[in-house]
Amino acid sequence: MIRPDEVKMSVEETGKWGMTINQDVCTGCQACVAACAMENNISFVGEEDSGYGRSMHWIRIERFWEGEYPDVRMTPQQPMMCQQCGHATCEPVCPAFATVHSQAEQLNLQVYNRCVGTRYCANNCPYQVRAFNWRDYQRPEPLSNQLNPDVTVRRMGVMEKCTFCIQRIHRAQDTAKSEGREVMDGEFTTACAQACPADAIVFGRVDKPETLVAQITNNGRGTKHLAELGTLPHVTYFKEG
Amino acid sequence: MIQKFFNWLKQPLGLIASGIVFLALVSAVVYGIWRTQQAPEQPIQFPHKTHVNFGIQCLYCHPGAARGPAAGIPSQAKCWACHNQIVKTRDSALLAPLKDAVLSGKSLEWVPVAIVPDFVHFNHRPHIAAGKNCEECHGDMTKVTVAQNPQDMTMGWCLNCHIKNAGDDQEKLVKLTDCGTCHY
Amino acid sequence: MSEQVSRRDFLKLAGLGAATTAILTGCGPASRYVKREPYQQMPEYNLVGQSTYYATTCRECAAGCGLVVRTYQGRAIKTEGNAHHPLNLGKTCARGQATLHGLYNPDRVQGPSTGSWDAGIQAVADAFKKYKPSEIAFLMGMTPDHLYDLVSDLAQSTGMNAPLRYGALGMFESRATLSKAAENVFGQAGLPWFDVGKAQIVFSFGANFLETWLSPLAYTRGFAGLREKETKLRGTFVQFESRMSATGAKADKWIPIRPGTEGLVALAIGRLVSEIRSGAALPAFANVDPAQVADEAGIKLATLEELASMFVNSNVLAIPGGAALGQTNGLEIAEAVLTLNALSNNFGKPGGVYLSALAPNQEGTSRPASPIEMYDLVEKMKSGAIKALFVHGVNPIFELPKTLGFEAALANVELYSFATFPDETAAKAKYLLPDHHSLESWGYQRVATGVALPVLSGSQPVVSPYYDTRATADVLIAAAQAAGGKFASALPYKDEVDFIQNKVASLVGDASGSFSASDTATFMARFQQYGGWFRNVESLIVPDASKALYNPVKTTKPSFAGNGEFFFVPFVSPTLAEAGANKPWLQELPDPTTTVMWNTWVEINPDMAKELGLANDDRVRITSEAGSVEAFVYLYPAIRPDTVAMPFGQGHTAYGRYAENRGANPADLFGAYYNDAGDLAFAGMKVKIEKISHAVKNGGLSRMESLMGVYGEGLGGEEH
Repeated sequence: MIRPDEVKMSVEETGKWGMTINQDVCTGCQACVAACAMENNISFVGEEDSGYGRSMHWIRIERFWEGEYPDVRMTPQQPMMCQQCGHATCEPVCPAFATVHSQAEQLNLQVYNRCVGTRYCANNCPYQVRAFNWRDYQRPEPLSNQLNPDVTVRRMGVMEKCTFCIQRIHRAQDTAKSEGREVMDGEFTTACAQACPADAIVFGRVDKPETLVAQITNNGRGTKHLAELGTLPHVTYFKEG
Repeated sequence: MIQKFFNWLKQPLGLIASGIVFLALVSAVVYGIWRTQQAPEQPIQFPHKTHVNFGIQCLYCHPGAARGPAAGIPSQAKCWACHNQIVKTRDSALLAPLKDAVLSGKSLEWVPVAIVPDFVHFNHRPHIAAGKNCEECHGDMTKVTVAQNPQDMTMGWCLNCHIKNAGDDQEKLVKLTDCGTCHY
Repeated sequence: MSEQVSRRDFLKLAGLGAATTAILTGCGPASRYVKREPYQQMPEYNLVGQSTYYATTCRECAAGCGLVVRTYQGRAIKTEGNAHHPLNLGKTCARGQATLHGLYNPDRVQGPSTGSWDAGIQAVADAFKKYKPSEIAFLMGMTPDHLYDLVSDLAQSTGMNAPLRYGALGMFESRATLSKAAENVFGQAGLPWFDVGKAQIVFSFGANFLETWLSPLAYTRGFAGLREKETKLRGTFVQFESRMSATGAKADKWIPIRPGTEGLVALAIGRLVSEIRSGAALPAFANVDPAQVADEAGIKLATLEELASMFVNSNVLAIPGGAALGQTNGLEIAEAVLTLNALSNNFGKPGGVYLSALAPNQEGTSRPASPIEMYDLVEKMKSGAIKALFVHGVNPIFELPKTLGFEAALANVELYSFATFPDETAAKAKYLLPDHHSLESWGYQRVATGVALPVLSGSQPVVSPYYDTRATADVLIAAAQAAGGKFASALPYKDEVDFIQNKVASLVGDASGSFSASDTATFMARFQQYGGWFRNVESLIVPDASKALYNPVKTTKPSFAGNGEFFFVPFVSPTLAEAGANKPWLQELPDPTTTVMWNTWVEINPDMAKELGLANDDRVRITSEAGSVEAFVYLYPAIRPDTVAMPFGQGHTAYGRYAENRGANPADLFGAYYNDAGDLAFAGMKVKIEKISHAVKNGGLSRMESLMGVYGEGLGGEEH
């Protein structure tokens, strides 16, 4: 018999950066969604296009209904973003190698300049978290003053998705390196986790057991969405705290 | 009608005409290519060589390079702080645009030439920290006036250097050739 | 002919040439050349290519959360929470994030309507001289406090009307009712603070404390504390309301009671608990009969008994709020719910009820004007008692119920607006003298509730003004100087910053705070650096509830205006709130419960809709006694069949391209009925619903759930 700590996990399985989401305290307030949009230069698409399901949210709060009135209940709010799968289903279908796996950061990358807009990746993503630029969405002046210089502004015909705020990862790594040290746990976090008023989102290195996110991930009470598909997602959800 | 036109094209006159059109197209293409390779117009023909030959360090005016992604353009106040004290430059016609800009509170509009597309996120700091010198990418500034770009600054150029520098260090190679290192 | 070139080929060839040229040009470095402007004078503390962070205060609502704004080359890039600010501890809500879409909104007022600021200041000075002080009134928003202080000083020493403050959020929170209820139950007015985080069980009677209520971030943090106890069991949360709010959606138990019966239910639970505990009903609860209450509220007696048995063995924190207070008997409801807390004996104890701490430089409690006080203002405008009205930080035409007749009364006054955005009220102004956006402004805001420490939150400009706007405080100071006499002596300040320094002077040298400074310059520097000052002394007021259980609580039946068949529950849109409609990313945030973006809907129980022959996205007209609005139908599974609900936040006729002519404003339906505390009975009405037209394909509401419906069991659209 093999003890759990003897199981050798592949680097895809452990991942490097991970996230935990506590659905029990998530109030669905949309602060993470707004923070993500502001950090990542996400376009707003307007009423008509959002009606067609073309809105560009990199993170969305899912909620479903259970039961009938008066015993109706909303299922715990479920922030859903790119799960940064270890075996991502989006990657092998990209004919342009725009959707590739980062070996260095163990993230699913979307290389905008390679993307030709086949949308195969979005069709193959079981989490439905990829957003496609159906148009060159406008930001009337002077709204463009607010654009984050660390993030590419995407154009029409390009697929995009949550990057785990890779620009913040790079900035933190760069600062740490310039100071001759490792990135510390909690030194930086993603825009969504930073904004979350209930601290429902925790982000960090899941491959280092001492970090907060690793401790929560490994407490055994979480679930990974659609893990049965073998996607090895790196976001862990906790339904009841 | 169209048939007539094509028949005419095969006449000597038509052949000459098509020749002219062909030449015009070719020269338009050549002109187009030539245009792309021209240095942009700058508000002042800034003589890098003079400044560098005076012994001024690159980082004196572009201190951002040692600290972060952008090297930066010095503020006009910084330029004028020195030039205002040098009699020769204070009233020089060559520096009139600077003087005007400083006095009127308007900005000079520089056009950087060593640039990468907006989907590339270049960071100066690690390159300086890794011991690269400015001239390895930007060329010898003791020889040029307005900055010129000695390289294409294409991805191949970046990668060649990254691979060379990674050497046998596998971890470094992975990091330096990862798409996500520059594209996000 | 073998070499025949077709026309098509010829065109292709020609096109190819042009395309090649274009592509080659596009690929060259020239296509990427951009002009870059260096700083003319770089601020000393800036570094080339590095972000600079400034601490300031959010003004999207009146809570007073601390922000840290990332700026880059003089542009504001991102707002983040100020981790050193005791109220929000580094967190922000969606509206705080989107404040940049206000700063860089394409539809801001770009300069004074007078052409030059000198003329604008002269116009204000002329008004000061032209009218008697009693004919001048100021109407201000709930932020910022420093301007309110300045106008209060001005009004006090010149005899003008004391400035009124108003905001739709304040109206929907029924702040006057909460304060009056505290006075009646505890003998002391003030804004109650409910310590949700340390409670074991929370009974919320309509309070939407996870949305926009009083201090949403503090209450959300409290809620997270309720759920995540390290030492105790997970806290339980029960919500009583007729329509499941985003707050109610987080409840373990959601109990749909009939609107207006919240007070009765609270008292019935109180009676049952006191009977179980001591065998007899305490005087406070003697008036109610649980069986009858269950019947009136439309629930089972067993439910009440179950809740009572939950209560008996532990302490319950009961919170009144939301539409419950917007009933004609709202004050009694608030009193009943506050009284219920007395059974837990939790006043002034962790997990209990407190009165909020006063801010460091605050003398006495203050609250925004109740709608009945606004009604008085409108009457004075109509009668000519007020001839000049100055409006800042509020959009009364949109935020006040139409029945009050504010818009019509404007014809009788000269309107001076200091609006940053071209809203409905600004459009009517004779003089429009735009203030800076909050991120371009100096100021301070007192934290009214949400934190145990007294906090004065500081604002500073994080970017220089983008347009030709001017700080209203500066305009008023300059105008007062120009008017001379008592006006000049009322505001003897150089400028806004001078005034702020004067107002915080009492804190200089105070050693009990987050920092102490011995001189004003140092104090102000630190005040800016930390984004405020707070006293390190927990100063929540412990209410005196010794008599609470011994006075019978009144139980008046609510009255509902109009002869419609549906109770009407208006609620503040959790994402847009009162002033978010002009920010495109707030419009595109899905509503937490319905996931609708960019529009207004009316929520109807699916079974009732079937009975009425209504389907999702049908267009309906909702008519009350006071007016009617149109909206799309949203079949909402968690609402009583006898109730319909509508969000407040849309329905602008001005206010920029993202807000204009979008959705409907439920405030148009409100009648002029008030509760005993003077707050509007905004839920005290019944409405009629009639179908205007069928849903058309792609013509209805934009919903996020249609995207989620691919794998979830969403409600999206299968009705068609």
